Amino acid sequence: MDPTLATLWILRLLFLALIYAFLFGVVRVLIRDLRSASREGTVGLGRLVVVASPGDDPGVGAVFELDALTTIGRDVNNTVVVEDPFASAEHCVLSYRGRAWYVEDRLSTNGTFVNATLVDGTAALGFGDELQVGEVRFRLERGRSR
Amino acid sequence: MRIARRPFVAPRLKPRTRRRETVLLILVAIILTVGSVSLSATERVAAGQPILLVPADPRALAVYLGLLGAVHVAQIVAGRRTDQILLPAVGLLGGIGLLLMERLPQGLVSQDFGGTTLGLGQLQLAWLSIALVVIGVLAVAVRSDAWLRLYKYTWAAAGIGLLVLTVLFGVDVNGERLSLRIGPVSGQPSELLKVILVVFLAGYLSENRRLLVEEDTRVGPLRLPPLPYLAPMLAMLAMALGVVVIQHDLGAALLFFAVFLLLLYVATGRLSAVAIGLVLFIIGAAVLYRLVPTVQERVDIWLNPFADPTGAGYQIVQALHAFARGGIVGTGLGAGLPLIGGQLPIPAVETDFPFAALGEELGLAGILAILGLYFVVIERGLRIAAAAPDEFRAILAAGLSLVIGVQAFIIAAGNLKLIPLTGITLPFISYGGSSLLANAIVVGLLLAVSDRGAEAPPANS
Repeated sequence: MDPTLATLWILRLLFLALIYAFLFGVVRVLIRDLRSASREGTVGLGRLVVVASPGDDPGVGAVFELDALTTIGRDVNNTVVVEDPFASAEHCVLSYRGRAWYVEDRLSTNGTFVNATLVDGTAALGFGDELQVGEVRFRLERGRSR
Repeated sequence: MRIARRPFVAPRLKPRTRRRETVLLILVAIILTVGSVSLSATERVAAGQPILLVPADPRALAVYLGLLGAVHVAQIVAGRRTDQILLPAVGLLGGIGLLLMERLPQGLVSQDFGGTTLGLGQLQLAWLSIALVVIGVLAVAVRSDAWLRLYKYTWAAAGIGLLVLTVLFGVDVNGERLSLRIGPVSGQPSELLKVILVVFLAGYLSENRRLLVEEDTRVGPLRLPPLPYLAPMLAMLAMALGVVVIQHDLGAALLFFAVFLLLLYVATGRLSAVAIGLVLFIIGAAVLYRLVPTVQERVDIWLNPFADPTGAGYQIVQALHAFARGGIVGTGLGAGLPLIGGQLPIPAVETDFPFAALGEELGLAGILAILGLYFVVIERGLRIAAAAPDEFRAILAAGLSLVIGVQAFIIAAGNLKLIPLTGITLPFISYGGSSLLANAIVVGLLLAVSDRGAEAPPANS
């Protein structure tokens, strides 16, 4: 075969082969990434991040991974214990129903607030919303892979 | 012995290696060099010269790869934890586009800058360079998304204003009023509008997601999505579509509508919304077919381009021939697209038909790989969305990557006569400043959103 033509062929096929090598490399990374994401278990339902806390218990920046039913209050039996003089022993419950979060006030003395609005009974809670219990303010965030 | 002092650096600059990106970018450099060598060898053989194994335009290649590397290094130095796959994938697509533009006759597009005339390849290189700078700046500088999420109505107004300006003061190109000219710079605002539309939809949907999911509008036995909460979005969409349809920019209209439906589904998970959208689409398409001659013409060409192969169907017939000539592995870069009467077979190949040109020169194998690269971009976007800390960023990331994916699909399928042809660009590959800039903004924002060290979302209040 003519060496000129052979060189052209080799260059053309090498170009295509290299593009596929790139794709292969990328796909391997993607698959590894997806595997590790699935091995880490399901992504949590959500998390509460403390935004403000005058009594510093829990401290600002503390993160609580949420269960489908999470109780908040001053009593030690709550999932999230808030050591705040304005919080009730059994202050409120967060529950994950369907595909959204709800907060239910448990007849707390000082009330539960979502984005500075008093919760009357039950209220829906979106990711990014602020929840206030006593003087402690939380932000609801989407769960990360644990 | 002197104690080593901290060198004089800006505070809080913590470089962080990006090994995956480094490896992939080196591979991109090798691929583009081989492609460039292949192109120059083909051209030299065609001119009857002996083969030299040098790149076709070493300076352009060096500039492009250098800037790609600079974006990479900027992110390392700034210590950004952004996605590492996106930049190499987009860089490879842009590089293939650059090779194609260097290979096409340089006189297709030319512009004078103070005495020096820049050809197609050089202009594309200039736009790609600006695009890479935009990607780098957005990836490194954007630490908070408040400027996007808080001003969604402002963005929407700006986008609509831009389109109205185009309708009023636009310049006609090929009978379609798509370009806005400000001084020496002209651009297509609909490219920028797609980014604005995604930002607006992400802002609106994340704010009203719960209402859209939980409320219903009951019409008899049907449970429909809550129409009052959909109204602002529908209004925005209707304005965008209306102006776009008046401009006969059908590709953009199709893109906006598809992205709107996809994002509505992503945000609410309601198939009924998508079903209603599709019904509206079919009704709208039928009405437009009756009323707008352009639509009728496009559909007729799509149904049977061979009815008028030298006239209306010429472009698509030539594109089909190009795909056929390409076969499995193609003719090789630089060896395809035989001139017909001294002209390229496909009109507007550099903007609307690069996919057909690549189909001929790289073959089925090549265009499948290119489609694969677009899938990689979509996968990364959806992955970024899944890992995003809040809804705004999730919907934004999904929308930005889908806008690229859907646009690539619309024009690739149009080139292949799978759907009626609508003139939009192939992202990162087609010639055109507006397209490259808009897509650079998309990639830059995706990188910024993917940054795991970014500022926490602001509280709603």
